[in-house]
Order: sequence, then C-alpha cells, then structure tokens
Amino acid sequence: MRVFGGITLLLAALCLALPASVGAQMEFSLDEVEDEKPNKPAQKTVEKDAAQEGDLIEQLAAEQAVEGPDEPLPEREETVEEIFAVQQIYALRLKRLELAPSAAFTVNDPYLRHPGLGMAVNYWFTNVLSVGLNFIWYDWGNPLERGTTLVEQIQRSFRLGVPINEWQFGLWANFTYVPFYGKFSMFRKFLFQWDAYLIGGVGLMRTRPIPVFDPEIREFDWNARVSFNVGIGLRIFLTRYLTFFTEFRDYMFLEQFENVNVSPSNRDDPSTWLADSSTFFNNLTVQFGFTVFFPIKFEYRLPK
Amino acid sequence: MMKLAQTTLLRITMAGTMALGLWASDAATSNSSTASAQEVQVTGPLADKPSVMRLRLWRENRLQLEPYFGFTFGDDYSRSLILGAEARYSFLDWLGIGVHGAWAFINLDTDLTRQVRDNGVTTNRNRLSLPSRENFPDQIGQLNWFAGVDVHFTPFRGKLAMFQKVFFDADLDFFIGPAFINISERADTEIFAGPPQFCNPPPDDVGCLESQVARSSRLVIAPSFGVAFTAYFKEFMGIAIRWRAFPFKWNTSGTDEAGPNGDFPDGEINSEDRQREFNQMMSIGFIFVLPPKIKTTDQ
Repeated sequence: MRVFGGITLLLAALCLALPASVGAQMEFSLDEVEDEKPNKPAQKTVEKDAAQEGDLIEQLAAEQAVEGPDEPLPEREETVEEIFAVQQIYALRLKRLELAPSAAFTVNDPYLRHPGLGMAVNYWFTNVLSVGLNFIWYDWGNPLERGTTLVEQIQRSFRLGVPINEWQFGLWANFTYVPFYGKFSMFRKFLFQWDAYLIGGVGLMRTRPIPVFDPEIREFDWNARVSFNVGIGLRIFLTRYLTFFTEFRDYMFLEQFENVNVSPSNRDDPSTWLADSSTFFNNLTVQFGFTVFFPIKFEYRLPK
Repeated sequence: MMKLAQTTLLRITMAGTMALGLWASDAATSNSSTASAQEVQVTGPLADKPSVMRLRLWRENRLQLEPYFGFTFGDDYSRSLILGAEARYSFLDWLGIGVHGAWAFINLDTDLTRQVRDNGVTTNRNRLSLPSRENFPDQIGQLNWFAGVDVHFTPFRGKLAMFQKVFFDADLDFFIGPAFINISERADTEIFAGPPQFCNPPPDDVGCLESQVARSSRLVIAPSFGVAFTAYFKEFMGIAIRWRAFPFKWNTSGTDEAGPNGDFPDGEINSEDRQREFNQMMSIGFIFVLPPKIKTTDQ
C-alpha cells in the first residue's frame, strides 16, 4: 500500500501540473498558415473537399485559394496524386523511447484480486511500430486479504474448496502497432489527439498455489510459467511527449493449481500436491497509466 | 503508527511541492497568449474561430436507430447473450434522449456453475442452498429483459485515421438513465428441520428439491449508465461499441446468503439474500440515422 500511495501521489502531482504544462501545444500561428500559400491551382482542386472536411486549416487554405488571380484558369485536368489522410501528426513516435508506468487490475478472476503496478519501455523504430518490455508486480502481502466473498460463499453453500494461486510478477517482450490515429474536439473548443494500438508478446508469469486443501502440510515455491499476451490500447496525448493511456490486455499462461485431493497415505509427498494437469488461464487486465516520450522534443522531417 | 503518519505527510508534502513547482515554473515562463490545455488560441485570421469549421452535425435534430447484439460479462453463475435496439433523438449535437430495450435470448452457465453441478456436496447444513447439485443450474438467477430511458451526452467528437488511408468521424457518447430490468430468481422458500428436512412452500417439499427449481420473476428499477464509441461510415450509418452497467441487488446463486439483523443463516430464501452486483455488458450495434442527409455548421 505504501508503494501505491507513493505512485498515487506522484500521479496526482503530474495531474495538478498538467494544465499548466500542456499550454501552447495547439498554437496555430499565421506563419504556419502562410506556408501553405504556394501552389494555388492545386488547392483549387481540393476546395470542395476541404470545406466538407471541417478542418480549420484546410478551410482557411480553401478560402485563400478563392482569392486567387482574376485571369482565366487553365482548363482542369484530372490528376492522380497521393494525399495522406493525416498530413502532419501531432506527436511523432519515430526513434523515440517511451516509458509507461501504469496500474493494472485483473477483471476476470472472481476469487482473488490481483492489483499490480507496471512499467513498460518501448522503442519506436517506425512511427507505428515499436518493440519493448513490460513488467507488472503483483505481490503485495497476504493474498488472502484480497480474496472476494465468493470463495467463502462457495465453501459455505456448496461445500467446495476453490484452488487459488497468487502471482509475484510478470515480464513480457512486446510488439506494438498503431493502426488508428485520431483527434477529438470537446465542445468545439479543445482539441486532443489520440491513437489506438494493438499489442502482443511473450514472456513469463511467476505464480504459486495458495495452500487451501491441506495448508498445514503443503507449501509451494514460486514458479515461472510461459505467458503470451495480446491487447488493445488507447493513448491520449496530453502534450507532445506526455500521454495518458489505458489498455485491455489478456495475459495467457498455463497455470498449475493445487491438487484438490489429499492422499492420507502420502500426505507429505510434494509430488502429490499439485494438480495432475495445467489449466489454461486468461488474466484479463485493464491498465491505466502515463507514458513519457524521450527525447521530449522532435522535428518533422517532411514539409507540412 | 506515528512514524507511518509522518512518512505519509512527508510524501504528500513532496508531491505537493513537485506539483506546485511544475505549475509555478510553467506559469513563470508562459505569457498571456499561452493557451490553457489544448485550447486553440490564435491571432490573425484564425482569431475567435472555433477549433472546427464546417462541423458535421451527426446528431443534432436527427433520429438514430440502433439494433445491437450484446453479452453480459463478469457474472458469477450465468451470462446472457442479448439482442436489443435503441432509438435516440438529439436536440443538440452533444445532448439527446433515447429509449432502449433488450432481450436476453440465451443464458449460458459459467464454469463455476458447471463446477458446482459436477462437484457440489449437499449436507444437512447446506441443504437449503444446494438441495441437489444436478439441479443447481436451475436455481441460479437469470436476466430476462430490460428497457430504459437514457440521457445522452456527447462532448467528444472528432475524426479517426485508419492505417493513414481511411478516415471517418467518431464520437464518445456518455449516457445515464433509469432501467427497468426483468429477472428470474429462485422463489422464496423456508427450510424446516426434520428428519427429513423439508421446505415450505411448496408444501412439504422433502429435501427442498421442488423449491430448488421453483422460479419467480420480478421487475427491478436500477440506474443504468455507460459509454459508447461511435464511428460513422456514411452520412446515415455508423457502428457503436457500447459498455453499459446496471448495478442492482439480486440473488444470483439462489442460496441462503443473509438474514435480518445478522441472523445468518436464517433458513430462508427471500429478499434478504439479495447481493449487490455490478452487472455490466458490452454490445456492438449498427446505427441508422434519419434524416439521412447531414448538415454542417455555417463556420
């Protein structure tokens, strides 16, 4: 809980500082607009489209194109030109390092809560592809204190024990791909940029059973399980280097639970303590956090 | 205890100092023309212009009809597959009202229900909660249908690029309102000591086997709220992915869970045994908009 408290305070500090630190991110100066003056005939051809798109810069460019010279324009010719849907992205990721502290909450384990604190490091080798690591720590004291009332209900009402495992940490190597990039306005006043991404990778989970069926005898050590993960995420750019993100991840692994049967004859034999077969386990997790991109500043290589 | 309190105070002080320092340093280096948050604050021909011109009014004075498919999740004993529909009329582009209705056409047992059915143990102590493990799937609570009225609030709208090639308009729709939910639960009953143990009603139900499968339905009024991501592909058509929550109390397991004044177990299945559940569902639907022609703002 102390670590939670410290992280919470740091996040609160960031949030408090945010309104001041994100200022001047969306300044559109006249100079920027005037850069688009050349090549008027080409803009004529996109005038109608610009008006329909509802974009401020495009609209201004279209208006400027109307104010062109009075001499007759040359006859229009149909041209094929590659036009990017997003001309200049608000924040580039290319060749930047991303640090992402986060809080993780398992949403599909009805018996035990698994809150985690995570840290991810990603390197973006293209603007839409990155490779990285993420780490989540789950081991916060006595896990039975995080048990839900459902375990007690099952024991009381159905006379059944529930094998449950605790987790220590998970570590994964991942690829991230960003197919979606967008911008939202709020009440036509504030603009913010966001993207949605797909993530997946391989790694390990360290887990162990909590002795339930013969707790006087059985003790279990931590063991690593091979784990795969896939997920989707949403990242909102607060500045060009600071984002808020949320992810929905499925960390999959083969879990080894405690044997629900206790053999009176060889109760002390550790080889009988675990279930005969492994269970495929989906750890569906929602994560919230911030990412910071390094270097903080960057330059566009292509003209606007 | 005192040491912990001092440490906590120290951390709060450090965090507060950091926030104040960041705010103060930024304020010191900024000037009056700096925008707050990402507010578009410009000079020249763009001054006083809205952040978006020729804004498409996807919702204002339009009727949206949305058939959808959904499923509940996070359920302990039974999850539902849902077919539903929603009609929404927006007075403003960011404010509207809608009605919705849905039918849980299939209820699926969870793995826990199957485990209890296969491995549950009945004794004299838990006979009321589990008269027979084989019939346990018939005693659990299930969702039948629900309907409601929602106020829709859509403050965020924008455009989205996919693979930097295809782009479309999208919005985030927040909604809240009352929901009327029809559920079926195990019918009220009471166990009496034997031998043999029996329940009443139904009269003289030895072993409570009949009471286990006796059902009663009721209508619950509960708050309903959620958020939807909507993307528009045509002026008259879009797609919506929606999360909805409707928390209320019900007896999902059909077991004796509580009694009045802490008297537990009280040997009765009744309203005292209802537990608060955070019921939630996801849905995906297609939106059809009338009139099909869209309008844009003047500027």
